[in-house]
Amino acid sequence: MPTDNQIKKNAVLEARGITKRFPGCCANEQIDFEIKAGEVHAILGENGAGKTTLMNILFGLYQPDEGELYFDGEKVDFKSPLDAIKKGIGMVHQKRKLVMAHSVIENIMLGHPHAGEILNFKRVKQEVTELCEKYGFKLDLNAKVWQLSEGQRQSVEIIKALYRGAKVLILDEPTSALSPPETRNLLDSIRTMAESDLAVVPFITHKLPVVLDISHRVTVLRNGKVTAQFATEGATEKSLAKSMVGREVIIKLDKVEVERGKPVLEVENLSAYSEKDYLALKGVSFTIHEGEIFGIAGVSGNGQEELAEVLAGLRSAATGTILLDGEDITRNSTLERWRKGVGYVPAERNEVGSIADYSLIDNVAMNYYFEEEYVPRGVINYKGLRELTENLIAEYNVATPGPDVNARALSGGNLQKLILARVLSRKPRLIIASLPTQGLDVGAIEFVQNKLLQAKKDKAAILLISGEIEEALSLSDRVAPIYEGELMDIIPWTDAERDNVGAMMAGIKPKVESL
Amino acid sequence: MKIAEHDIRLVKRVELPWWNAALISIFSIVVALILFSLVFVHSGVNPINGFKEIFQFAFLNRNGLPLTINRSIFIFLCTCAFIIPYRAGLWNIGMAGQLYAGALGAFGVMYLFGAKGDPNLYIAPGIGIPLMMIGAMLAGGLIGGIAGFLRGRFNVNEIVTTMMLNSIGFWFVSYMVKEGGPFMNPVGRSESFDLPVSVRAPLIFGIPFTLVVALLLAVLLYWVFAKTRIGYKIKSYGHNPLAAKYSGINPQVIPVLVFVLGGMIAGLAAYHYFGAVPGVFKVARNYAEFGDLSFYGIICGLIAQGNPLAAIPISLLFGGLTNGGRFAQGKLQMGFGVDYALLGVMMITMVVLQFFYRYKIVWIKPEKEISDVGIIR
Repeated sequence: MPTDNQIKKNAVLEARGITKRFPGCCANEQIDFEIKAGEVHAILGENGAGKTTLMNILFGLYQPDEGELYFDGEKVDFKSPLDAIKKGIGMVHQKRKLVMAHSVIENIMLGHPHAGEILNFKRVKQEVTELCEKYGFKLDLNAKVWQLSEGQRQSVEIIKALYRGAKVLILDEPTSALSPPETRNLLDSIRTMAESDLAVVPFITHKLPVVLDISHRVTVLRNGKVTAQFATEGATEKSLAKSMVGREVIIKLDKVEVERGKPVLEVENLSAYSEKDYLALKGVSFTIHEGEIFGIAGVSGNGQEELAEVLAGLRSAATGTILLDGEDITRNSTLERWRKGVGYVPAERNEVGSIADYSLIDNVAMNYYFEEEYVPRGVINYKGLRELTENLIAEYNVATPGPDVNARALSGGNLQKLILARVLSRKPRLIIASLPTQGLDVGAIEFVQNKLLQAKKDKAAILLISGEIEEALSLSDRVAPIYEGELMDIIPWTDAERDNVGAMMAGIKPKVESL
Repeated sequence: MKIAEHDIRLVKRVELPWWNAALISIFSIVVALILFSLVFVHSGVNPINGFKEIFQFAFLNRNGLPLTINRSIFIFLCTCAFIIPYRAGLWNIGMAGQLYAGALGAFGVMYLFGAKGDPNLYIAPGIGIPLMMIGAMLAGGLIGGIAGFLRGRFNVNEIVTTMMLNSIGFWFVSYMVKEGGPFMNPVGRSESFDLPVSVRAPLIFGIPFTLVVALLLAVLLYWVFAKTRIGYKIKSYGHNPLAAKYSGINPQVIPVLVFVLGGMIAGLAAYHYFGAVPGVFKVARNYAEFGDLSFYGIICGLIAQGNPLAAIPISLLFGGLTNGGRFAQGKLQMGFGVDYALLGVMMITMVVLQFFYRYKIVWIKPEKEISDVGIIR
């Protein structure tokens, strides 16, 4: 074991007693840790554990109420992100901060001193190419950013930070938008960075395997406090989850065996155009039965969003038919589909699934305003809706001061619980759940998955769209990897193999022998 | 910011109780009056004296008060015409065009009765007056509906279309009432024919019955937005069109609906001024001034934050200021445009100080915890 003294010598970034108070949630209390050069130090925590606050403090967006930050042993006081960048802190946000219409190299040059007043493309290009080679990033520097995949865009941001001379690289949920092969490449690059004495600090809510795979040490946050700090060697997914949530979490779900009933959803040769007018969904056909979860596994942007929208009636079908319980609903409006028993849990909780400035009651009304029971003769029965909302809040453990607060005030996990509660309470025949656990913490993921399994027991047909192979495999009865708008295959879960599905998600066709 | 040991911070509000909104509005009125004092001082008028003249004529004078109320009803109706689309997140800049159409609609009904050229024609008021109102509302709703349809079906920006329709409306009225137009006054004064005496609006204490209509409308709209399905759909679309679409609200219908309703109310405003206010009873030569006046509906609607009940006192204030300002300008022999300047200052301060609808200042004494702060994200 190194002595305290040695650690301090090595530490590039050190936090001592960082405290930041906000009323209610998202505070940091007495946070201590040090990050050493050459180490991958993951910060793990559920939503609302204070990760974002801490990240913003490290990057100079917030100033701590108490406590100090040390960089290379010297006390620093970041007034703004610019101070942090100058010291050598690089930050890669979850939301991309790139100019879409510009090329990779232009984005990297933006604001960099070497770019010069008269742009010195040659020098920058050479230096950036060297960086890319060193850390194993494969990028076409002349490509426009809008042409790149989400993973490539993230690489651009990482290189941009490195090129600015970052010694500490903070990554916010670095693997959340990546396909399995992309994740593997990123992890390799991160390892190389650590070997060349950079400190890498990924902030992660779930994806415990990733944490175990790459990080040397983990600091776990819960309720704004550091609850555990240990070397990853010897840790297991279970032990990580336990210190995150504060109790045992079942990581692997047991299959719920439900007898497969009659077909509920029959989709035949369904195609649809995307917003940008290209064919995003290309003639898919499948059937989902009562008591069955049908998983669509894919990296986002491969047509699964369009599929969900076409089924929910939000996008029109270019070709094909949709049958619900044998009835053709292809031309039905969204409202008619809600009435006939389609329930849609959209991936965009804030942009589509809820109205931020509405109270929870009004948010629940989104799926009930057309029901005579709650809106007799066009006048809303707010008493009945309030009762319904209170019941849903209680049944789904939505953490909220009450039904009158605005949806804006809920954390991602609680908002998702509310949306799920609202949709499932209608007892839909078909549930379309698009990325239902995306961005949730371990506890909320477990809850959401269990509710879907419960719905399965109640004989609903469930279309689960997921970006995570583990989730798709562990929940679904059959899995269909989707790539560029086509279902690569439809595999019963008993035959599905992780690597095989992952390869198909990346566009590699199944071998002929396996058919 | 720090002053001595005290820390002053700007904090985002979580909620805004209505009395806070009212206090902020009153505060902004006071600030505006103080700022406008400079104009009085500049013109060599004692500000206290100046304001006394304005407010006395607007609200306490026997002759001034009815003028104020008539203008306020007009502004209030225009405010409602703005508010309904505003709650759906859409901007109605076309109250002027809609009220021009409404004026033609109302007088079109009288034209069909054969009222042109016979001011003494008898039409049963119980039939004639409602028909005039309906005509005004249909015409206004039609013009509004064009903008709503274009927005809903083809996503054409409603601000541009309503503005263009204003121009069309203006010239169409001109064509109808000026030289040789079908609605021209036979005596020929570039205005429409006179309304027959029999269908002049009934008065209550010298104020046309449209006052009651306006007040009922305020309550009705408030209720619609607070409690009904249709109000819920409009609000949902206004807050988040994607979420509204997700929950089954037809995104093509809502814009048409709100613009037809808004246009109808603007048409009613036209009926009020040209068909009900004593002493007018025609599409007046200066009808464009009322088009300009209708734009105060936008500012009143914004200050009222889309709340039709809050719009009542605000419309009254603006109606009073246009009226009293014009009077004081004449009486105190000040330069042209004092009334507009006063309204301008008032609007700017009210809009600027609406900042405090969303933020508040928190004063933190040393050694004390923050007790009253909103959530910062």
